[in-house]
Amino acid sequence: MAQRRELIKGNADSLLLYLIGQQPMYGYQIIRELEKRSQGYFQFREGTLYPALHRLEKSGLILGKWQTLPSGRQRRYYYITEKGQRLLVIKMSQWQDFLTAMNLIIRPTKA
Amino acid sequence: MTTALSHYLNIIRDNLRLDPQSEREVISELETHIEDELEKLEEAGLSEEEASSTCARLLGSAKLVARQVYEAHSQGSWRQALMASTPHLLFGLIFALNWWQGISWLLVMLVLILATVVYGWWRGKPTWLFSWLGYSLIPVVVAGLLLLYLPKGWSWLAIILYLPLASWLVYTITVQTIKRDWLYSSLMLLPVPIVVGWFIAVGLEGRFPEFSMERLHEFASWVGLSFLALGVSVAIFIRLRQRWLKIAILTIFGILTLSLVAGYAWSQIGLQTFLVLILLTLSIFIIPALLERRIKYGRSLAEKQVR
Repeated sequence: MAQRRELIKGNADSLLLYLIGQQPMYGYQIIRELEKRSQGYFQFREGTLYPALHRLEKSGLILGKWQTLPSGRQRRYYYITEKGQRLLVIKMSQWQDFLTAMNLIIRPTKA
Repeated sequence: MTTALSHYLNIIRDNLRLDPQSEREVISELETHIEDELEKLEEAGLSEEEASSTCARLLGSAKLVARQVYEAHSQGSWRQALMASTPHLLFGLIFALNWWQGISWLLVMLVLILATVVYGWWRGKPTWLFSWLGYSLIPVVVAGLLLLYLPKGWSWLAIILYLPLASWLVYTITVQTIKRDWLYSSLMLLPVPIVVGWFIAVGLEGRFPEFSMERLHEFASWVGLSFLALGVSVAIFIRLRQRWLKIAILTIFGILTLSLVAGYAWSQIGLQTFLVLILLTLSIFIIPALLERRIKYGRSLAEKQVR
């Protein structure tokens, strides 16, 4: 469990950028979406999500905007910025390289 | 929202130490998160109390969340670092270039400082304001030190008029600053021990002002250097994220700069005064921190009484 948490921590920025890059999302939605898509593997400690989002926003990678829903409830949606998109492309390519290399080692194709 | 969750949010609010606008946004965001979470948990069949405790557990330690949000916001830009260190650098330059002798330069500085302080206060007290705010107190400190040279029999003027007025002014500004973050009041008061140190170094002989001016001329480049050192420390302070590192950098630079003052004017300052100045430096960290605790304790007591 601790190892999994470390893995998530190390890749939190990429995961958040990827999800927000697909569509603008608010904090609670991000947590549920991560949990759903990973079939429960990625379980964020909820309180730590917001510092991560604010750090990304401070770095200019995402942008938070308050929106009022028809119900009157206000939510802060996060949008990816151009800088965020550029970083996401780099991070995705790094992940692909890493996965390919890992697969070459743990699942070598028979010659 | 239950009392437990309101208390949870209050702990976060007390430990955020952000500007009012950011603080409101963080708390509102967490509130909407909690509302969503409670709704989902209650739909799953949990009672209100069970849902509240589960929600607080899922969010994790309130102090940890507050600290992490603080660290996400606490690093200022290079522009803010430059802005915060500017008053120190300007004072350093005034002494290094020997402009301190021209009253016009000092007046220009004073007007610039007061105008910047009014502007910063009006713009919601950004981080860079607090080092300027400290310099706006220098006329108060210098007026007090000058009163030491009043002719005998005039000390009543200092006791009746100056001391209560100056104490009230410094206390009011310090408390207002502490309400935002006690560390900013330490940032604000940082030059005080250095100014007092140099004042003692140039003026203890009692032959003010001729003798002191002559000595100040001799010390000017070192006075300039000490203010430049403060400027560097403030720039580093603004750029750091972690709170303990911010405290450490101000304390270390404060004591090192004071050692520079004492080292150059050891014959005037001596060990006893140096130790008093070190204590004064440490007190500008300890007293605001204690005052903040007292203010928060008073606030939480008032909240409990309201409940």
